[in-house]
Amino acid sequence: MNNEMLGIILAGGQGTRLGKLTKGTAKPAVPFGGRYRIIDFTLSNCANSGVDSVGVITQYQPLELNAHIGNGASWGLDNLHGGVTVLQPYSSSEGEKFFEGTAHAIYQNIEYIDQQNPKYLLVLSGDHIYKMDYDAMLSYHKAKKASLTVGVIPVSKEEAKRFGMMNTDETDRIIEFEEKPEHPKSDKASMGIYIFNWPTLRDYLMKSYATDKSLEDFGKNVIPSYLAHNESVYAYAFKGYWRDVGTIQSLWQANMEFLSPHNRLNIGDQNWRIYSKAEVLPPMFLTETSQVNNSMIVDSCYVAGEVDHSILSQRVSVGMGSRVVDSMVMPGATIGKNVVIDHALIGEEAVIGDDAIVQGSADEIAVVGYNEVVGVEKP
Amino acid sequence: MKRGTVSAIINLVEPSEQLTPLTTARPVGMLPFGGRYRLLDFPLSSAVNAGIQNVMVTTPRSGRSVSDHLRSGRDWGLDTVGGGLFMYPYNDLNLIAPEKKQSLIHHYYDNTILFLKRSHSDYSVVMSTRNVGNIDLKALIRYHEERDNPVTTVYKSVDPASLTPKNTILQLTDKGMATAVVPTAKAKLSKGAKKGAKNMDIYLMSTVDLIEILQDANRRGDIISLEELMKQAVMQHNANAFEYTGFHANVHDLKSYFQANMAILEEANFRALFYSSRRIYTKVKNEIPTFFAEGSQFRASLCGTGGYIEGQVDHSVIFRNVLINRGSQIKDAVIMQGTRIGAGTKIENVIIDKNAVIGPNLVLKGTPDNPLVISKGQHIFRQAEVVTSE
Repeated sequence: MNNEMLGIILAGGQGTRLGKLTKGTAKPAVPFGGRYRIIDFTLSNCANSGVDSVGVITQYQPLELNAHIGNGASWGLDNLHGGVTVLQPYSSSEGEKFFEGTAHAIYQNIEYIDQQNPKYLLVLSGDHIYKMDYDAMLSYHKAKKASLTVGVIPVSKEEAKRFGMMNTDETDRIIEFEEKPEHPKSDKASMGIYIFNWPTLRDYLMKSYATDKSLEDFGKNVIPSYLAHNESVYAYAFKGYWRDVGTIQSLWQANMEFLSPHNRLNIGDQNWRIYSKAEVLPPMFLTETSQVNNSMIVDSCYVAGEVDHSILSQRVSVGMGSRVVDSMVMPGATIGKNVVIDHALIGEEAVIGDDAIVQGSADEIAVVGYNEVVGVEKP
Repeated sequence: MKRGTVSAIINLVEPSEQLTPLTTARPVGMLPFGGRYRLLDFPLSSAVNAGIQNVMVTTPRSGRSVSDHLRSGRDWGLDTVGGGLFMYPYNDLNLIAPEKKQSLIHHYYDNTILFLKRSHSDYSVVMSTRNVGNIDLKALIRYHEERDNPVTTVYKSVDPASLTPKNTILQLTDKGMATAVVPTAKAKLSKGAKKGAKNMDIYLMSTVDLIEILQDANRRGDIISLEELMKQAVMQHNANAFEYTGFHANVHDLKSYFQANMAILEEANFRALFYSSRRIYTKVKNEIPTFFAEGSQFRASLCGTGGYIEGQVDHSVIFRNVLINRGSQIKDAVIMQGTRIGAGTKIENVIIDKNAVIGPNLVLKGTPDNPLVISKGQHIFRQAEVVTSE
């Protein structure tokens, strides 16, 4: 099998900053926008960009993610020459292939990558909300004759303190990398998206793991090592909508932005569709007593109460007299009667009993975990 | 049940004249229903829910819309080894040239016989698509196995007053056997009868018997419909009659199609049809969530995904990707996928087919008995263009 560019999605992170929501599931499997999971954006970008061989590296709580991805048919990735492969750590004569950092994850899956034998390796995160054409990035990579191209996004000075920042020359060649700088010299933040010439990266990783094992992480170790060895490393500026949804606050914020018909993500664009594993469910049912404003609702929802500026995912029910405001409710959650939910993220299959109040604020979003039961009196 | 025990034939060659213009370019089985389904989805889902993996779909004409919908059968789990979906187009005899018709005498049922032989199944079930329901075919098969008659047919018990002359009913004996399938008009319903056995157009028999029925018809040179043959089989053999007790709606004209859609807006019907342990499958689409804008009012209604709702909707079935502009008032309507309704337009007792565009500030009004129908892709921008139903 010989694919020009192989996509690898790093989906093994625990996402501890999402607290309760990732207690039992991997961050990329967290629901988003009513009928998606976070990884759908990256997977759909791959499919739309013609990257039809994709390895998804999992490690932490992978079951829900595995079930979601399946054979990749939902993204049209169940093709004849590649498709989706879910990569779980396994044991070998050298020991177990669990991994520590992002680069180490690639090293541990070197056998899979060799099997695919790509010329270029596209490394992606499974926890960003965006629409991006990786094929355009590959053209740029080739035009620059780069060894490594890093996707970057413009950020403000304040935000720069949270990112790995790329300082470039006038040709966009990266000359310096600074991790979370106090005084940023550029506005180019790394998106955690890389295109590597695979044979070169392979050499670096093999040498490193034969000796000091220093190349654990792409940002912390590999990019500095590439720069030190004078590899040609370029920044590819992405100008579209991009959100890292690694925290409760940013996940809620991105969902609220998703609600706006004017959101720059342009989810309705038929030329760049976001696919997801679509459960076949009956249409939504809004009763006589429902009142829905500024909200997104999907299949199999049942609404008898009020929903204002909120997102309801599949199979959510909202009982009579309840009010859901500025919130995102994940699949299968049941909200009883006369409930108030305000500024909250409600986990999958959660049960909110009659008259309960889940009250958050813009600065502190309330979170109800998966399968959590709130305000139901025990018999 | 052992794999491959039962095969199914879903027959889309059904009377469609009373449903024009909705059936001008599609068979009855492809009529959109309930916000995201096609009528065909109901018998097909019943079949796969009973573990049936050999399914033959016969279509009157090219079956383009049917193939588009079913593709490999993957969305029903029918792209599998040792079975799958088999499409047989061009079965409408009215479309066949006389010369061709001549050559079909003695061969009209060849394809069906071939399908049945290759299925190696013990039983076969023949179904139509104009009866919306969610039947447990496993129970039907058990019922059949426990009885001696070679054919089992299915009915829904209804109030005789609700039967229209177009409905067909089963003539039942005191012991509950069916002796004939007849139009209500010709049925000998005793005056005080409390129940009518509304025919569901479902026939179960051993595959060997069905092959024999078809071979006989071939020998005689009978080119009549499969459905006629099934009715004859009931008459010849006396059939077991299985009572179906779930939600049922028969679609045979515009009024009954409209009423069937309105019926599932009753929560109990909606739940019975869609939330039993047997799911209804359909073609998977990747629509975005439906957006309900500030000031929208959407009540007692169903809605598919991909919609954009600004206006007022009451007691209606709204399919996928429908745009309803500000200030519009929609009541008792069936609006199919991709249709756009202009601002300030008032709609009541109307069926609007796919991808229609209705301009602003118009009034579209039908009656419950005679719903106004807007055809597929029709664009209406002036009140004068609204043709009220005759």
